[in-house]
Amino acid sequence: MNWESTLEFARGPFFQVALLVFIAGMTYRLVAVLALGWKADKVKSKGSKVNGIAMSFAKGILIWPFIPWVKNTFTRNPITYLAGGLFHLGLFVVIFLGAAHVLVWKSLLGFAWFSLPQPIVDWLAAGAIVAMIALFINRLVNPVLKLLTGPAEWLNWLVVFLPMVSGYAMTHHVIPEYDTLFAIHMLTVDVLLIWIPLSRISHFMFYFFSKAIHGSDFGKRAVTP
Amino acid sequence: MPEETIGQHLKKQGISRRDFVKMCGVLVGAMGMKFAPPLEESGLPAQLNNVRDSASANLIANALETKQRVPVIWLEFSDCAGCSEAITRSQSPTLVDLVLNTITIEYHETLSAAAGFQAEKAKEDAMKKYAGKYILVVEGSIPVANDGVYCTIGGRTALDLLKETAKGAAAIISTGNCASFGGLPRANPNPTDAKGVWELITDKPVVNIPGCPAIPEATTGTIAHFVVFGGLPELDNLHRPKTFYAQTIHDRCLRRPFYEAGKFAESFDDEGAKKGYCLYKLGCKGPTTYSSCATIKWDQGLSFPIQSGHPCLGCTEPNFWDGGGFYQGQSAPLAPPTVTMAGAAVAAGAVLGVGAALANQVQKKGAHAEEKKEG
Repeated sequence: MNWESTLEFARGPFFQVALLVFIAGMTYRLVAVLALGWKADKVKSKGSKVNGIAMSFAKGILIWPFIPWVKNTFTRNPITYLAGGLFHLGLFVVIFLGAAHVLVWKSLLGFAWFSLPQPIVDWLAAGAIVAMIALFINRLVNPVLKLLTGPAEWLNWLVVFLPMVSGYAMTHHVIPEYDTLFAIHMLTVDVLLIWIPLSRISHFMFYFFSKAIHGSDFGKRAVTP
Repeated sequence: MPEETIGQHLKKQGISRRDFVKMCGVLVGAMGMKFAPPLEESGLPAQLNNVRDSASANLIANALETKQRVPVIWLEFSDCAGCSEAITRSQSPTLVDLVLNTITIEYHETLSAAAGFQAEKAKEDAMKKYAGKYILVVEGSIPVANDGVYCTIGGRTALDLLKETAKGAAAIISTGNCASFGGLPRANPNPTDAKGVWELITDKPVVNIPGCPAIPEATTGTIAHFVVFGGLPELDNLHRPKTFYAQTIHDRCLRRPFYEAGKFAESFDDEGAKKGYCLYKLGCKGPTTYSSCATIKWDQGLSFPIQSGHPCLGCTEPNFWDGGGFYQGQSAPLAPPTVTMAGAAVAAGAVLGVGAALANQVQKKGAHAEEKKEG
């Protein structure tokens, strides 16, 4: 087994299986949550559900990140807030706006969108990696986080960190063997895809889910925060 | 004929000492010999060897003057003769002249004037006369399905001919992707079960010079190395000479700065393409393709595909016909799930989810009933 055939395996059948496991797993998670049952909500509507959902997302994505000091999370643990924010921003830009990944979306969806210039993606990727290291150290030293961190958290960290580092090393030709790093990157991505539905990384979907549920509740009661 | 030394042969051809030394210089370049091997081997006084870079040329001059010409048997199987075409049209005349002078091609189906039984007899004679000394060059893959009936020459299968000719060869050079890794005939579903030479012949040294076609200078350079040193150059894990296959196209690409800057051509006729931007998004396989196209180039260093505006197809790598679409980005998965597969995955997930919910409900009801009983 050399790196060429490893790469072919990781880009071909393994990726296919991993992606299908990911799709099935995420559907399972969502359906299982939806089917938990809904409590009858007998409150008379005072406002608009849609309005509530829109406000909920606008505040979560567009407002709080720019005025972090009003949030308790920030004042209590600024590292988690700042490094966490930088990490999520970097990850989003790399996955959805990096040239190589846009080509992946194109082959999966049949259409694609613009990609950002390499230097911008690069700096954000580097920022995300540094942020992950900061978060790692934070978990090691912060007394509260120490109590909350178990094997599952470390594993989540590792499974996300490996594709990021291997991808960064690959685009920067840290070692001359591009295909070796490409193979490692693809293998770690495949593992990540399989791991997401089994872990709390599934919050990438449930974040939007719960924002929508809470937003609609707030909107109905006209108590939009 | 090969009994006379190469030096004597060249003299007979009317090649001057000056031209001879020039040729040696070209060979040094072609073989990528930056440094001369240890001094003793060159047999020259130390002060001459101190002259930078000329030392290796001297070494070659010495070798060529004293060694005999090397006989070559060139076999073609499931091929298109493109590699032969490339060799004959190589625009490095001094190099080709030198190689044609330093080797004697005893058998070549496309190039030889003789045909039919005459040609076959010439080959058999050469095999007997130079047993254990000749270089066997193979072009084209070898189909092995159904006892190899998909490629026969003079009523004999390619597999049979290869095995017979390989027996007496000093070394085997597979030129082109087909002979090296199976090439086009091997593309999925590979109906003839085409194979590369190194998969079939394991008891002889086999050098792969993949490419579609192989860069002529890589083939001639490898033969020249054999002529001069009497052995094969250093090989990588795919048996390719490191001289020509140690770096990727991407490493030496003239469009590399645009890759680093993230400036890509989005189609073959957009503004980016006109400005010579990177062809990564148009499916370039340069980053994983090991070859010297970007440095040696083609037609006397005139150009190579990427310079001419076409992405690299990755023709020096195994499975290059099945390694993803030629115009599909390299990062794209090789086998993206189909809509049906994705639908099936969603359905499976939904069924599991509903199942889990039903199980929950049953458990809940049971718990309620128990509570009531106790209450």
